[in-house]
Amino acid sequence: MLREKYRTEIEELLSRYPVKRSALIPLLYLAQREEGFVSEGAMKEIAGLLHLTPPQVYETATFYTMINLKRVGKFHLQVCKSLMCALAGSDTVIGWVKTKLGIGPGETTTDGLFTLSAVECLAACGTAPMMQINDDYYERLTEDTFDRILDDLKRDGSSSLKTGPFMWPEPAPAKPGV
Amino acid sequence: MPKYELILLKNMMQSGYTGSLQEYERAGGYQALRKVVGKVPPTEVTMAVMKSGLRGRGGAGFPTGVKWGFLPKDYQGPRYLCCNADESEPGTFKDRQLMERDPHQLLEGIVLACYAIGAESAYIYIRGELVLAAKILEQAIAEARAAGYIGSNILGTGITANVWVHRGAGAYICGEETALLESLEGKRGLPRVKPPFPATHGLYNKPTVVNNVETLANLPHIIARGPEWFASIGSPPKSTGTRVFCVSGHVKRPGNYETPMGITFRELIYGEAGGMRSDKPLKAFIPGGASAPFLTPDHLDVKLDFESVAAAGSMLGSGGVTVMEEGTPMVWAALRLMEFFYHESCGKCSPCREGSSWLVQTMRRIVAKRGQMADLETLVDLCKNIEGRTVCAFGDAEVAPIMSTLKYWRSEYVALIQEAETANLIRLEPTVARH
Amino acid sequence: MANVTTETVRLTIDGISISVPKGTLVIEAARQAGVMIPHFCYHPKLKPDANCRMCLVEIERVRKLQTSCSTVATEGMAVRTATTVVNDAHKSVLEFILANHPLDCPVCDQGGRCDLQDFSHQYTATSRFAETKRIFQKEYFSPLIETQMNRCVQCLRCVRYCDEVMDVKALAPIGRGTMTEIKSFGNHPLDCEFCGGCVQICPVGAITSRLSMYEYRPWMLKRADTICTFCGDGCQITVQTKDQELIEVNSAHSGGRNNGDLCARGYFGFHATSHPDRVTYPMIRRNGTLVEATWEEALLFVAEQTNRIKQAHGPQAFGGLISGRCTNEELYLFQKFMRLTIGTNNLDSSARYGHVNGVQAMRRVQGTHRWTVTFEDIVQADVLLLVGTNITEANPITGLKVKEAVKKYEATLLTIEALQPAVGTISNITNLSRQHVCVAPSQFGAAVLGLLKAVIEGDHVDSGIRQRAPDYVSVLSHAVQQIAWEDLAVNTGISRDLFSQMAASLVRGRRVVVLAGQILLRSQGGYGICLNLLDLLLLSGKLTSPGCGFAPLAEENNDQGAVEMGAVAELLPGALDLTDQDSRDRMARAWKEEIPLVPGSTLIEMIDRASAGIIKSLFVVGENPVGSLPSQIRTKEALSKLDFLVCQELFLTETAALAHVVLPAASAMEKAGTFTNTEGHVQAVRPAIDPVGDSRPDWEILSAFSVFLGAPLEYGEAKEILKEIRSVIPGYGSLGPSPIAPTADPSAIDRYVTEGYRHDVAIRYTLPPRAVRQEGTVQLGLVQSLFHSGKLSTHSKGLLQIEPSGLLQMNPVDAARFSLGSGDRVRLSNNRGQFITTVKVLERVPEGLAWLPDHFAQEALRLFDCVIDPDTKVPSFRTAIVSVLKAT
Ligand SMILES: Cc1cc2nc3c(=O)[nH]c(=O)nc-3n(C[C@H](O)[C@H](O)[C@H](O)COP(=O)(O)O)c2cc1C
Ligand code: SF4
Ligand code: FES
Repeated sequence: MLREKYRTEIEELLSRYPVKRSALIPLLYLAQREEGFVSEGAMKEIAGLLHLTPPQVYETATFYTMINLKRVGKFHLQVCKSLMCALAGSDTVIGWVKTKLGIGPGETTTDGLFTLSAVECLAACGTAPMMQINDDYYERLTEDTFDRILDDLKRDGSSSLKTGPFMWPEPAPAKPGV
Repeated sequence: MPKYELILLKNMMQSGYTGSLQEYERAGGYQALRKVVGKVPPTEVTMAVMKSGLRGRGGAGFPTGVKWGFLPKDYQGPRYLCCNADESEPGTFKDRQLMERDPHQLLEGIVLACYAIGAESAYIYIRGELVLAAKILEQAIAEARAAGYIGSNILGTGITANVWVHRGAGAYICGEETALLESLEGKRGLPRVKPPFPATHGLYNKPTVVNNVETLANLPHIIARGPEWFASIGSPPKSTGTRVFCVSGHVKRPGNYETPMGITFRELIYGEAGGMRSDKPLKAFIPGGASAPFLTPDHLDVKLDFESVAAAGSMLGSGGVTVMEEGTPMVWAALRLMEFFYHESCGKCSPCREGSSWLVQTMRRIVAKRGQMADLETLVDLCKNIEGRTVCAFGDAEVAPIMSTLKYWRSEYVALIQEAETANLIRLEPTVARH
Repeated sequence: MANVTTETVRLTIDGISISVPKGTLVIEAARQAGVMIPHFCYHPKLKPDANCRMCLVEIERVRKLQTSCSTVATEGMAVRTATTVVNDAHKSVLEFILANHPLDCPVCDQGGRCDLQDFSHQYTATSRFAETKRIFQKEYFSPLIETQMNRCVQCLRCVRYCDEVMDVKALAPIGRGTMTEIKSFGNHPLDCEFCGGCVQICPVGAITSRLSMYEYRPWMLKRADTICTFCGDGCQITVQTKDQELIEVNSAHSGGRNNGDLCARGYFGFHATSHPDRVTYPMIRRNGTLVEATWEEALLFVAEQTNRIKQAHGPQAFGGLISGRCTNEELYLFQKFMRLTIGTNNLDSSARYGHVNGVQAMRRVQGTHRWTVTFEDIVQADVLLLVGTNITEANPITGLKVKEAVKKYEATLLTIEALQPAVGTISNITNLSRQHVCVAPSQFGAAVLGLLKAVIEGDHVDSGIRQRAPDYVSVLSHAVQQIAWEDLAVNTGISRDLFSQMAASLVRGRRVVVLAGQILLRSQGGYGICLNLLDLLLLSGKLTSPGCGFAPLAEENNDQGAVEMGAVAELLPGALDLTDQDSRDRMARAWKEEIPLVPGSTLIEMIDRASAGIIKSLFVVGENPVGSLPSQIRTKEALSKLDFLVCQELFLTETAALAHVVLPAASAMEKAGTFTNTEGHVQAVRPAIDPVGDSRPDWEILSAFSVFLGAPLEYGEAKEILKEIRSVIPGYGSLGPSPIAPTADPSAIDRYVTEGYRHDVAIRYTLPPRAVRQEGTVQLGLVQSLFHSGKLSTHSKGLLQIEPSGLLQMNPVDAARFSLGSGDRVRLSNNRGQFITTVKVLERVPEGLAWLPDHFAQEALRLFDCVIDPDTKVPSFRTAIVSVLKAT
């Protein structure tokens, strides 16, 4: 079903590489975008597109943490728990999630809205503590911003508190007249 | 106002700079490319890079020009350039900034490298989580393509240099260059056994160069301002140029600071980063990303260059400097990093795979006050048995936190164990002869 | 092309100086020096992966320890494997590997032959690991293969074998880090070729065979090295038994022509021998039914009846038919029995079904009845052309040689097959082709002509042959000129371009091997196409070059032996011409008896004669013509007319059910002798168990007949027959590790290129008729299935678990056209009759074709027409046009 719906996108992806298999991760992303996770059906279809066997697709898919083979919540909260964030209080963030949403790492709220994962370093150590929700980064979290982010997401499905393009420390504002 | 002349961060430190093609060009961008492509022979570009003394910013610090020189001279088939934008080393967040804020600087570097090594295709392997950076790069590539800087006939010279963004999908090991290549080939990101090296058998088994984002971003400046200029910055002759140091942890102003190599940790931590967060004394710092052994306040005057840090028993690595204040439990800190390495061990080779699960379990026990004195000896032994015996350098990296904290803060381990013993918590059976 | 390098390097291993070919790995060099370096992930068949880190050694002037499995030996290298440092490294790596390994050795089938057990015993008795072991949930893996992932040491040998050697890619390492486990796809059971390679290559007990789970400890087993009977490849197998019970089959790495590799039939098919339906006692037909008799009674009865018929009707009233599954000794004795004791040349074997086509073509063009190449030449070829082989299913181990040539040594593979490239659960050789022509079997001839035309018109004709046989070249050139590219395109759907590219690839090769399979050999015109393929080699100057040759693939394990033993009407032992006076004289001298003059009838002729009442009695050994030939031949009616039909059989086949006497024959697991494989290599067959029930080896039965008939051909054991064979065919059977292929006979080639080619050139160089296929029909083809090859396989519980019945395989496009899906019932019909079966949709089947595995096709045989080759008398009945209708 991907083949019909995304024909041109798939063709474009395939055209980037001299060897088809290279398009595997991009196609897994495509499938994940479509269904929210990568289903067996999608893996079989991708195998067909790339002339691979389904086990070859499966072995690659299971190696990477960002490929979800099971459904996750609409908002996937990924809180970095590596040392650098931990020094800045990431365990507290995980605590907030627990008290505010009632879920621990690996769990999803019953309404299917939020899934929490404690993840390893996301390259934002200078702006810790931080979390990624779906595609977006949220950095220098405080309890206040954390609450607002959750409210935004519940209400609008997105939040303006997301950060990036990244620059830290930020340049001083240009002095008027210079 | 920064104390040092900025090179890589210069554009983006201008407030309001968005990194668009127009602004990059206005700041002098793509002049280096215009200067050499089709005019200066590729070998001379390589020579210039060699002369500049530029060394890899990805971690190992290998001289970039020398690496390019390893490509077979007379090979007819395709060659590839891979830009390593996997940036997964805990404590490192500079590549993200270089890509999100000044993408064309990187692209110009990539095209220059392609030209020098004769690659017609370059892939930017970017870690999957950096969705925004990937988008920004895609846009920049489109702009550069339209302007003739990228594509099949760059600047009308008939030379081809195509650039694509390839997103990873969550695996630290894919920053290791051969694992990166495997991953780019659509496989599991398992490091390859070397030799052969990517220079001869890289992507699709073709000659390939893998370079870090920061390494490549330096190229336009080296070409534009000359290798001699570059070689005079930092602490020549071995550590030339600047580094973007990522300071994190218990400092007042964490963030990215570009300084010439050779300033001291004290200058970086107490100068640039504003000193300790709560004005408590510094207890420990990691000088070059999670893979680098911890150092102590005694090392604050060590210079931030490859040789000096190595002489101090650690490494400059990826330039991620993590600072810990007095009161930080060091066994806990080591465990946190061990948890990372355990999670990220690819599983290919036995010492790393089995060792990481063993180490992490022992460390968890000790932190949970269920350790015993014999564990300390076992830890050291296991670390020694992993080091130098694995397929890739991950094995050496994963033992660094434990080895170095045991070296400097052994007493904290002992205290935890003694607490366990006096509390008379559940005793394990004798550990030997279980098998 | 394999790098056949003679350069060597000299190095020392623990002070022992040794010189090895350049490129040799240190671990191999050490082995050659008698030093065993412990290892798990290394396997000589696989590319080094150096993941276990067990094989670390010290190399002088190298700072770190190196993995000897991935380090190439270089000149002057000094390797140390026994220093304290190395020993400590081995110990520590082992400690890591053992850390997560469960200590369930008492219930592990690998116990006693486990590398981990052995090395642990050698290096360390203790481990300090006191943490929690990793635990995988036990999951169902497959009907035949069991996994116990807690025991896995993650060396990935299974995964790498499945990919690198088999090209199947059914196994996948799932997850990462310590939690990596070997699975197939999701929670689906393994669906693959079931070659058993993963079971064999696993160094521990993580992958084992379910057929023998928990049944033994290795040291309880008795082993017999013998040869598999499922196809002509002739793989060496080791049959392991416990008190007459068949427990397991495997094959020692580097053992036999198969180099330790097997297919599903070889690995999992061994249970046929112990099937409860085996005929275990003699039977005589009394009042219309077969009843148990003693051997004495049965033999007397055979003698009486034979004498009676011989007196009344003479020796030409007899005929004999023997299976190419029998040993050389039996085939030899059978033809001797028919020719001397009975006195007739009316005899034939299963080689007639197709193999004879290839043999006769070789005899005619190059004067050999064997390949002029060996398996090694296939591996080392730089160009391989496959025509109608479906090699991965029909001759899977020869297929492995082709895969090795292509995957490991980058040979160029050209294929003309009724197969589409498609990745599936079993390998497909066309996936590896450089240039592939996909045509229906009826157009193989056209495709070969296209290639010939491209070679001739592309000016690729070898100058040598031009000079030597200008006429031959000009006649053939003229012949191909008569064929228009347009017509070729219509027949095959292939453009001139592709033929030209193929021709160019072919002539560029230095070592070119052409393989022809049963799909070609058994198809109409198969003989002529073989000749044309030989023409192709001749014209391109490859026929007599070293490493080049034509290799028709045998279907039955000993079809080649049948030909060489003279178990076909027209040939005497040594494949000598029956009509050649010198040969007759020589044999008569050896046998001290005259050979009957009357030319013999072949398979179909014998059936016709039985039908006409001329042949009154048939001796059938292990053959089942009633079940194998299409209904059109009316075999059953013909055999029912016989006065006397004797069958020596394992099972009560359709043919045996008509017999007057049925004698229980011993299977190949129960007797000694030799088989000659497809490349002409003679190999020893050894008994693994005693004959089941009252069964006897066929040679013993034949010998007993002769005694009872008063013209004794007495032998005490099979070896005595072999001795006699060697006296009549000097030096028969090298029985060494590898065959010595004959070279083409220049005088035969001369004869061929001057006159020999002429008489049928016009016919051979004509395009085959196009199949006119109406809407609603497909071309049905009988093919060999990987999992079955006849009555033995359909009595093997292992194989039946993989493929319990024959399914009609068809392309998705066709299936959609007929609104069919996998599992649907379908009615196939033509003016001959109809047949209902079940559909399996498979991408590899080309559009317009449908396949039926021939060993489940007995009911379908009524749909097929049968054409007899006028030269070789080979019956072909492999394709039929049928209407397809979904059955409800
Ligand atoms: C475990 C491991 C992880 C690595 N991760 C990264 C990374 O995230 N980014 C990077 O640029 N280099 C990383 N490297 C270093 C690369 O292997 C390689 O040396 C580098 O990309 C070469 O580029 P350079 O010469 O420009 O530094 C890693 C190395 C190892 C062993
Ligand atoms: S050292 Fe670790 S990460 Fe590197 S190959 Fe071995 S298992 Fe993989
Ligand atoms: S045998 Fe060499 S690393 Fe496994």
